[in-house]
Amino acid sequence: MAAWDLSVTVEDLGSDAPPVTLSVASDLHVGGVILKLVEKTQIQRDWSDHAIWWEQKQRWLLRTAWTLEKYGIHADARLVFMPQHKPLKLGLPNGTTLRLQACFSSSVFQTVMGVCRMLNIRHPEELSLLRPVEEKKKKKDKDSSEEIYDLTEVPLSSASRPCLYNGMPAHFADSPQMEAVYKMLSVTQPPPAPEFIAKQYRAASVVDKAHINGRWLDSSRCLMQQGIQENDRVWLRFKYFSFYDIDPKYDVVRLAQLYEQARWAILLEDIDCTEEEMMLFGALQYHISKVTQSEPQMLSSSAAMDDLESALQSLEVKMEGESSSASEMLENMTAPDLNDYLKIFRPKKLTLKGYKQYWFKFQDTSISYFKSKEESIGEPIQQINLKGCEVAPDVNVTAQKFLIRLLIPAPEGMNELYLRCENEQQYAQWMAGCRLASKGKTLADSSFQNEIQSIRSFLAMQKTSSGSHGNSPTNDEGINTHSLVSPRYHKKYKAKQLTPRILDAYQNVAQLSLTDAVMRFLQIWQALPDFGLSYVVVRFKGSRKDEVLGIAPNRLIRIDLAVGDVVKTWRYNNMKQWNVNWDIRQVAIEFEGNINIAFACVTADCKIVHEFIGGYIFMSTRSRAKGDELNEKLFHKLTGGHEAL
Amino acid sequence: MDDIDAMFSDLLGEMDLLTQSLGQETVPPASLPSTNDNVNLSTSYTDLNASLNELEDTDLDALMADLMADLNESEEKLAAQIEDLKGPSPPPSDLPPPPPKGPSIRPASSLPSPTSPASSTSSNVSTSSAASPLPPPPPQATKPTKEEIEAQMKADKIKLALEKLKEAKVKKLVVKVLMNDGSAKTLMVDERQTVREVLDNMFEKTHCDCNVDWSLCETNPELQLERAFEDHENLVEPLLAWTRDSENQVLFQERGEKYEVFKNPQNFYLWKKDKRALKEIKDKDKELLIQENFCGTSIIVPDLEGVMHLKEDGKKSWKTRLFQLRASGIYYVPKGKTKSSRDLVCFVQFDNLNVYYGKDFKNKYKAPTDFCFFLKHPQIQKESQYIKYLCCDDAWAMNLWVTGIRIAKYGASLYENYKTAEKKAAVSSVWTNRSTPSSSNPSTPSPTIKAKSPNQANGHAQEPQPRPVSTDFGHVPPPPPPLADFLPPPPPDPFRPPPPPPLAVKSSLKPALPHRHLPTNFPPPPPAMDNLPPPPLPPKDDAPPDFLPPPPPAAGFGSLFPPPPPLNSLPLPPPPVSFRGVDQSLPPPPLDAGFLPPPQPMFTGAGAPPPPPPPPPPAAAPKPALRPSGSVKKMPPVPPKRTTPSMHGGGDGDFMSELALAMNKKRGLH
Repeated sequence: MAAWDLSVTVEDLGSDAPPVTLSVASDLHVGGVILKLVEKTQIQRDWSDHAIWWEQKQRWLLRTAWTLEKYGIHADARLVFMPQHKPLKLGLPNGTTLRLQACFSSSVFQTVMGVCRMLNIRHPEELSLLRPVEEKKKKKDKDSSEEIYDLTEVPLSSASRPCLYNGMPAHFADSPQMEAVYKMLSVTQPPPAPEFIAKQYRAASVVDKAHINGRWLDSSRCLMQQGIQENDRVWLRFKYFSFYDIDPKYDVVRLAQLYEQARWAILLEDIDCTEEEMMLFGALQYHISKVTQSEPQMLSSSAAMDDLESALQSLEVKMEGESSSASEMLENMTAPDLNDYLKIFRPKKLTLKGYKQYWFKFQDTSISYFKSKEESIGEPIQQINLKGCEVAPDVNVTAQKFLIRLLIPAPEGMNELYLRCENEQQYAQWMAGCRLASKGKTLADSSFQNEIQSIRSFLAMQKTSSGSHGNSPTNDEGINTHSLVSPRYHKKYKAKQLTPRILDAYQNVAQLSLTDAVMRFLQIWQALPDFGLSYVVVRFKGSRKDEVLGIAPNRLIRIDLAVGDVVKTWRYNNMKQWNVNWDIRQVAIEFEGNINIAFACVTADCKIVHEFIGGYIFMSTRSRAKGDELNEKLFHKLTGGHEAL
Repeated sequence: MDDIDAMFSDLLGEMDLLTQSLGQETVPPASLPSTNDNVNLSTSYTDLNASLNELEDTDLDALMADLMADLNESEEKLAAQIEDLKGPSPPPSDLPPPPPKGPSIRPASSLPSPTSPASSTSSNVSTSSAASPLPPPPPQATKPTKEEIEAQMKADKIKLALEKLKEAKVKKLVVKVLMNDGSAKTLMVDERQTVREVLDNMFEKTHCDCNVDWSLCETNPELQLERAFEDHENLVEPLLAWTRDSENQVLFQERGEKYEVFKNPQNFYLWKKDKRALKEIKDKDKELLIQENFCGTSIIVPDLEGVMHLKEDGKKSWKTRLFQLRASGIYYVPKGKTKSSRDLVCFVQFDNLNVYYGKDFKNKYKAPTDFCFFLKHPQIQKESQYIKYLCCDDAWAMNLWVTGIRIAKYGASLYENYKTAEKKAAVSSVWTNRSTPSSSNPSTPSPTIKAKSPNQANGHAQEPQPRPVSTDFGHVPPPPPPLADFLPPPPPDPFRPPPPPPLAVKSSLKPALPHRHLPTNFPPPPPAMDNLPPPPLPPKDDAPPDFLPPPPPAAGFGSLFPPPPPLNSLPLPPPPVSFRGVDQSLPPPPLDAGFLPPPQPMFTGAGAPPPPPPPPPPAAAPKPALRPSGSVKKMPPVPPKRTTPSMHGGGDGDFMSELALAMNKKRGLH
């Protein structure tokens, strides 16, 4: 067979070096080409990760047994010999950037699996990569010093589950730097400065949100094929909002990143919520950041420790059970005394009486008041049971106004009542007492001191935020409440107006542990009506206007773009089949009952829509019975399109 | 130290007196008519006499009879125990495997025993056991040092004292429950009982079919309201909110809407769809809906949106608004704004509100239709500006909203309740089916039958014993096996149901009972277990059931459960752990039962801790701690009702005398 010259660019020789020219025959297989190439470069190194990339055809020549003829390669082919794994900058849900070795030659699905394995995130099928939104170039020079966590030294392992050391994958235990990276991954970030939130790109409309979904990479093709180059930036995000089998014990990183993604979705109004919900999200963020600061960060739960841990846990449970009998009851008998002179005021129609001072005494869940301290031994003027009442603050620190507003239920309705305290200290105690009592707890409850603390720290917030406008959060006491809500509320409320509202919501979550608080945050997020919807602008067959298709974990919805109303809902479980006509780029779906829909995609490739639908169907096939094994084949079958066939 | 000890024994003595006077602990049996009365000494304003006076004579007689029956039983038991006291104590030490005892109880009892006989039989037993130097318990590897034992004993004493204190504070009400046919049953309900437990109680009394629709409802004629209590709620608390002169009633009736959302989830979650399509929905799709909305990380509330008429702030007029239901509350769309979330105005959140059906509001408030519901704080009993009335166009919409609000407010509890109720229903149907065969053919393996028949449809194993399972889903699977093991104790083969039918019944009963205690009672700290000798302390409550049928004396235990050792020896699957604990605790019960006014209380029950040797304590312990959901009585009709319930004789004395007084007074008046 005739020999001809084949030129191959070897990346490792530098970009200026001329291509290496080999004399080959068409029946030479790719492995032979590589062998010749390596010999010719005369460089001694490990070439095992290298492979040949065919530029014109945008494909890797990974089958080394195939001949050049079989690949259809001729002398005019531009081939590049380079490593399959290259550094990639990965933007994480928490806003940080990692640099790590990613695979550029396998499907994005597998690349994500590899990345997740390295980061210790289970269920990589729920995540994917997308091209980042272009940052505004204006301040680029200023921000270019962005910190990048470097993980490029970490070799990619092929073990399906990394072995754990000290609760983290072994490669994170190598050095303090690596440990710091793991901490960044597994611990939630402090609340961002309000200016930072304001600077972020926010999708202003459904159409904007739809555009973001056009950025998802194709799971069945590799990074090189999608124009991603070495050291490019991509985002790693949860794509399918169907989170399977979350276990706080094994999902430290997964949960932290999921929380971050949810938090940013709320802060940037990617998902709409009401004001009340926003305040609750704010309160949870506040609580989470507070607990994170006070708790030892690294939860060491190495495999070896697991047993011990579970033993300890069960011990704890027992002790708790115990405490409900012994220690708690002991406490009940030793409830702290709380009594003082306070002023009381009952707003009633047609009365202009002001505040009157009495001697108040807290007992169990009731407060009683007497004419004076001396008379407190006798019958109180009145005893008020606070159980089930509503407690609201009416406080202005600068004006030294400390009012507790109580709405006390009675058979006839609610009685309104104000208690006036003299100072912060007094207010914090009585407020804490009232809050506990309203929930049926007494002062003896272990949370009493915590409650006082949190009320005081909120008072402190009010002080600092009223003193200096919109300061970024510095000390732990002074979290700016603007850091906890979306920019809309920065405009609507001053920080000190937000404080009491967030505090109000906070009282319901203040007792949660870190994990519980994160889980609660996620639950409330998942309970939002628009949760899990990924939007795409489409044009339905026979329709002349653009409409929005919302893709949810269990259904598709059709939204009228002009009004924003949901026009129609189709559930996947009624779906008989869906097809993509790749030539005219149209998705056609058939549902039970002879319902057929077809649409062309405007803001995203139809492959992306196809992948979303197939992906969600794949997600719903996961079950415990099948174990942890990821059925990659099925995924590709459902999402791959014609390439998979 | 001595001083402290002395103090404690004094304290304990006092407590005993206190508890005795409170008496009537529990629950099961007593049912009588009545309004709500607060029996509690310390707290309630209502006084027992007054409430008793309101009772009909016949009701009173019935209550009295019930209570007397209990009393007699308990007296018998007491007598039996006394006899046993001497006898039984030694055995425990000898028997290694026997029932693990609640450690706490023993030591405690040792002190007070002289002072307060009432405290607990177990105490006596325990004393003796304590005396015996080496507790033979197999499980405990380590031997506690003497100091540890002492410390433990002291801790236990403290705990006991505290428990009793707490017990003294427990509120009890005599509740009259109206039946559909106009008759009434009267129950003694204690504040720790959930509606589920009370329902189970009613099942026993009424021989109804126990289906999931049975509910306890409250009505308030003044507000013309009706609300079915949720199964996980405590019954006493809402009743305490009733005013003294209220004509409110508690009804026992079937309410289809209670769990309709689980039977036909499509009507709630796909309500926008064409109604005919909804009717044709497949079971598989229903399951999927439940799965999606109730089994995920987050409970999903149906997305309701619609125009309703609102009357609030005490105004007379009705205005229309576009409302939306979200997990966080009900919102409305302000005039001229869009429906986007950020523009919604919060109408109510559910923390302090309950939802009620309103009756005949067209007449009363000139409502546009009669399909009204309203939201109010449970304590509000009269018309008030704080009540928010809503009126829907049709019954369908009203049910959607009320159910949606319940899902938003109660979340996962609702589904848990349903699963429990379903199990209950399944078990009872099994019982009814099975009662005939069992009697005719004793050898029928009862366990097997149970296992197969009931709820298969639902996909869970139905446990024969309903209650343990009640709340904790996790529990479910394990229970059945244990039961099986349990029943046929004698024969080595677990699946064989050797015991004669009646026995089987009883035994099944017991397990259930104990189980409930288990969770409730303290999960004894592991160390404690070590210390304690394994004397059989029966949970008081359990005792009665076992006890009654057989002769009171300890013998009962033996005769009934010859197999206990075998039980232990049987290779039990791990899950049963908790159960085992139960079993063991069972045998010993006879003695104690009589004595203590066995408050169901969490604390007293001795049985709880799973000391059983084999099981790894951790596994068992956590569960109970999680959910004491015990159901008080569970079993269906078969068992002799009377007997079961009454266990607390001891304490009744004072109560009884009060009752008698009240009756006399009342009669005098006439």
